[in-house]
Amino acid sequence: MRRTWVVAKNEFLKRVVSRWFVFTTLLGPIALIAIFAVIGIVTAQSMESGTKTIAVLDGTGQLGVALTAESDDQSVFIPVTVPEDSARQAVLNGRYTGYLVIPDSALFGRGETSYYSMEGGLGSMLNRRLENTVDGVIEKHRLAQAQVSPEVLEILNSGLGFRAVKLTAEGEDAGAAEMYAVVGFVMGFLIYMAMLIYGSVVMQGVIEEKLSRVVEIIVSSVRPFELLLGKVLGIGAMGLLQMVVWAGLIMGVTLGSGFLISLFVSPADLGLTAAATDQEVLAAMNFTVPTIGPDVFIWFVLFFLVGYLLYASLFSAIGSAVEQQQDAQGLMLPIMLPIILSIMFMQGVVENPSSTLAVVLSFIPFTSPISMVVRVAVSEVPVWEVMLSFVLLFASFLGSIWISARIYRVGILMYGKKANLKDLARWIRYA
Amino acid sequence: MPHLQVEHITKRFGRLTAVNDVSFEARPGRILGLLGPNGAGKTTSIRMIAYITVPDEGRVSLDSREVGPWSQLIMGYLPEERGLYKKMKVGDQLAYFGELKGLTRSRAVERAKYWLARFEAADWYGRKTEELSKGMQQKVQFITSILHDPSLVILDEPFGGLDPINSELLQDVIMELKADGKTILFASHRMEQVEQLCDDICLISSGRILLQGSLRDVKRSFGHNTVVVDFEGSDAFLDALEARGVVRVATRSRSHAEMQLLDGAKPRDVLETALGSVDQVTRFELVEPPLRDIFVTVVQEQAAAQRGASN
Repeated sequence: MRRTWVVAKNEFLKRVVSRWFVFTTLLGPIALIAIFAVIGIVTAQSMESGTKTIAVLDGTGQLGVALTAESDDQSVFIPVTVPEDSARQAVLNGRYTGYLVIPDSALFGRGETSYYSMEGGLGSMLNRRLENTVDGVIEKHRLAQAQVSPEVLEILNSGLGFRAVKLTAEGEDAGAAEMYAVVGFVMGFLIYMAMLIYGSVVMQGVIEEKLSRVVEIIVSSVRPFELLLGKVLGIGAMGLLQMVVWAGLIMGVTLGSGFLISLFVSPADLGLTAAATDQEVLAAMNFTVPTIGPDVFIWFVLFFLVGYLLYASLFSAIGSAVEQQQDAQGLMLPIMLPIILSIMFMQGVVENPSSTLAVVLSFIPFTSPISMVVRVAVSEVPVWEVMLSFVLLFASFLGSIWISARIYRVGILMYGKKANLKDLARWIRYA
Repeated sequence: MPHLQVEHITKRFGRLTAVNDVSFEARPGRILGLLGPNGAGKTTSIRMIAYITVPDEGRVSLDSREVGPWSQLIMGYLPEERGLYKKMKVGDQLAYFGELKGLTRSRAVERAKYWLARFEAADWYGRKTEELSKGMQQKVQFITSILHDPSLVILDEPFGGLDPINSELLQDVIMELKADGKTILFASHRMEQVEQLCDDICLISSGRILLQGSLRDVKRSFGHNTVVVDFEGSDAFLDALEARGVVRVATRSRSHAEMQLLDGAKPRDVLETALGSVDQVTRFELVEPPLRDIFVTVVQEQAAAQRGASN
């Protein structure tokens, strides 16, 4: 035990003082925020870039004028009375951004309005705006023709809203369902990272020791199992430290989010006085910081740790069986598969946390670290389910470290040979 | 009373028997040379002594107690395949290995500094290992095997890659350890060094022991059948002697030859033939065979016997 501690301490200190650690820990979140900021800025700019001039070939003879009135600084509608071929030519020449064809049936029947442009892209923000504008004009016109009473118009125009509310044991958490989904995603990704990235760090460490042959000196001083355990724990401690730093940063950002938002949004835009507090601004924007129960955190940490331990032990077994990093790819595939599956299905689990798929994934030990934590974060999961899943996960970890240790102790001393899965199975049976 | 006892150990890897019923012992204050061709089972035997692997059969004990985690603390091992953590500083590395061997951090640091100074390398303490030359790394690695003052020291090819000055330095330290009453296991292919350093030898080939005992006894048992001649002039007499089946020439150069007398041949016959062709004989000596010749003869005999058995 003392020697495991010595190994763990060395692995931890060696890495924590490295430039790599300081760099990723401090710059990781900054880089992430920077990426999101860049994406946001680019999106915002692309939406505002230039005014679109749209020619309108109006078959109804009535809507063209109404559309022209809808022109704003993003799109300008110009009714034209030329054949479609000329309009097409004008768009290709760059005179217009695109042209609309409104058939005369649009006023009564099922006429379909078409928009032709060189950009195509049906789902783009601009096309959706365009669709809304045209539909609105047509709708207004049809209603006017049917001589609908002002009362009915009033009813139609009154805003429709939709709100998702999460029920918890303590009551309901209004308007925060989306935020819980975000929390679920973030936690799922953190566990994914812990298993994959820190697992690979363990594997690299094992390969490095074997490649440099330093492992032979070490196993003449410690049992291979003590070395393996010390390594996994030391690197796990490093990962935990990194997570704690990040959690601190995120918490700081969340607490300061009101302040941050107030930098970009002026209270006046939201109909508030300039003296409004940050909280009032957030409330007016319908932005709720979700309250995350301590149980969610506790389960997150437990699944995080044991999930990491499970995968780290398997990764170390693979590391011991190969000579170099490249050789590891083939052996890694079966281990990576469940991790990739849990990430692929994460969206589904967030949206339907009680579906059969989500429940099954959250019980299988290799997918449960991600899937169960996501379920716990976005919904109320019965305690017995979480406990059973955790017990299964922990039992799998004990099994995997036993098997891995048996592969490891043979593998680290096998030089110059590329092992396959069959070799690994044979090593497990060695005395 | 032997410090290390190896009793009938056998180790198999699948169908291959790497070590087959090997027994030997090593005593304090003596150096035991572990010899054998490549793939003979030396490293496998050493790993069992170091408790890196365990024998399928038989037993290894230190002071009559079976080896285990406890014995790793009082044993130092310099493997043939050298390796250190490249990115770690020399001092941190030595201190870590010392801690693994049960020293406290401060004691390990103290010992590391002492030994670095001893190897005229005190200023390497804060340097990264990858900045050192191969020979320097070798010295650092040697220090890892003796840092914790072990009673059993296993050195596998400790001189490989060292220049003559550093070899001398290392040899002095090894002789010091011996004088200090340590039990030393020395594996090597360099027969001159084995002859120079070892008190006892144990020759392994194909997993079996072919020869063992004190160096002097082993050599004596092969008798005074080697003739060394230093001469000036033509070396034609060597070919004549071989053609007549009197000797087998082991080494020859322009003015030096070593040969084995073949059954019943007389040294006098060799001298007379030589005098007939050379200008001058400057040395004529009847000696015990060098270890290298014994090694080659014994291993070749075994190989021949195995071929015979398999036919």
